[in-house]
Amino acid sequence: MKKIGITTTVPVEVLIAAGYEPVDLNNIFVTSTEYENYIDIAERDGFPKSSCAWIKGIYGVCIQEGIDEIIGVVEGDCSNTKSLLEVLSLHNIKIHSFSFPHSHRLEDVKKEIQKFMNIFNVSEKVVEEVRIQLNTIREKVKEIDELTYIDGKITGFENHLYQVSLSDFNGSPEAFSNELDNVIASGKNRESVNKAIRLGYIGVPPMTGDIYDYVENHNAHFVYNEVQREFAFPRYKKAANIYEQYYDYTYPYDNEYRLKELKKQIEDRQLDALVHYTQAFCHRAIEDIYLKSQLDIPILHIEGDKINRLDARTKLRIEAFLDMVYDRCPSNI
Amino acid sequence: MRVLGIDLGSREVKIAMFDGDGLVFKDKMSTMSFYKECCSFDGILKVDVSKIGIDGFDVGISTGYGRNNTDLSRFKAINEIKAHVYGARFQTGLDDFILLDIGGQDIKVVKVEKGIMTDLELNEKCAASCGRYLENMASVLEVSLDEMSGFYENPVTLNSTCAVFSESELIGKIAEGVSLEAMCAGINFSLYQRLRPMLTKFKGKKLVVSGGVANNKAIHKFLKRDYEEVVTLAEPQWNGAIGCCYYGLKFF
Repeated sequence: MKKIGITTTVPVEVLIAAGYEPVDLNNIFVTSTEYENYIDIAERDGFPKSSCAWIKGIYGVCIQEGIDEIIGVVEGDCSNTKSLLEVLSLHNIKIHSFSFPHSHRLEDVKKEIQKFMNIFNVSEKVVEEVRIQLNTIREKVKEIDELTYIDGKITGFENHLYQVSLSDFNGSPEAFSNELDNVIASGKNRESVNKAIRLGYIGVPPMTGDIYDYVENHNAHFVYNEVQREFAFPRYKKAANIYEQYYDYTYPYDNEYRLKELKKQIEDRQLDALVHYTQAFCHRAIEDIYLKSQLDIPILHIEGDKINRLDARTKLRIEAFLDMVYDRCPSNI
Repeated sequence: MRVLGIDLGSREVKIAMFDGDGLVFKDKMSTMSFYKECCSFDGILKVDVSKIGIDGFDVGISTGYGRNNTDLSRFKAINEIKAHVYGARFQTGLDDFILLDIGGQDIKVVKVEKGIMTDLELNEKCAASCGRYLENMASVLEVSLDEMSGFYENPVTLNSTCAVFSESELIGKIAEGVSLEAMCAGINFSLYQRLRPMLTKFKGKKLVVSGGVANNKAIHKFLKRDYEEVVTLAEPQWNGAIGCCYYGLKFF
């Protein structure tokens, strides 16, 4: 199977139908023990210090790991991706682009996915067959999510990990499906862990994966991972076809649409507070203004950059924030 | 319910008492006197409340400098950031503001949104932008802190980063014949200039100032350049102790 790199979630059903093994470049970057080397490669090649670590990491992975074909999402994700693709093309890497249209009209989404299917020469029928197969795996990840926010048996980090992994199904849907069966079986046998503070994690997945363990030391746990859950397409059952599935997706579209789902999840999961993570130098930091004005819940905005551990100052901020949130918890009043 | 709040500051210990939902008693004493005259140590620090003019309380909450290395018996310790946020909320009724607390040796800048701390900055390594700097400079000029705080026009330039070098610089200005008013204004302005870098990240409309330096009229004037509204607390020095009382009343 030929590998193809992706810079974020794309209609992966199309790639699998075309016989590719999709590889989420973010996951290779952030899980590597040598993750800083990938950033160094990019900075040595001229990427500015004042640019996103994810973009630099993806670039470093492509160069270091010999990725020779990638899909970059040039609309609806990161405005830096367009430039990244141009620079990668200098290295004889085959480039494809995909867009989640800003208009967020179903017919425009349909056009983009049809273009995508034409690039890879696959029919809608075959793509739909793959989609139905993958949805059985999406259902298992939904169960993992419920084991987190209903049963308290799957940790916030595991919830993040298995949902975010649906961007590329860890390269092998079948093997990943078996892994999920084991996670669910062992999770069900655990004791429930219920912390006083129920937190939601909103924003892009973190560079600083230790945030999940850190909050648990302060009587809090994440029972909602917003974007990771979107990558997992939990509402797939509502979609009649692939076009509707990628239309009913909050991450790449406007914040008004995103807010509806956020408000629903805050209510359903009985969240006490949110942590809004953004990456340094990212336009999404500006969205914090909008989200805070529209959501009636305490929100702590934190920013990650190049290091994959929380720094002392951010830890102090989280600790002080949780300390005050705890005072307001229904269980504590 | 009678709630006693104690803020163990670096220079002074502030004491506040709530009975029902209002402040009924406040007092302060030097930190050294508090430890020497009102406390005994028997594996755990014990406060003899009768020596601080209190004849009993139902709930005791402590905060401040001494919180982490003293475990006052009968008191629950809370972190000072939280104490100051609660104090400011109680005294102003505001839920969204920037809090600037200038104490004897510590500065805190805290962003409060929807009544909860969402960002903070603390001074490190150096206390040249705190109350102790003003005390030292006032003693060089042989004027009271209160008198010095009234001057803000035509400040003489004082460049030193270090508070000790600033004293030498000030003596140089005295020798040059610079007026007392300009020197007082210069001292106040130099403290404001040291504070400013900490405030740059904390944009907002309302600034609430607490701590002993909040009474400094000149600092207040300078801060008005950066914020639409600078809110003065009725009891800026007791803000931490009042925050302890508020916490004890609402959450304990």
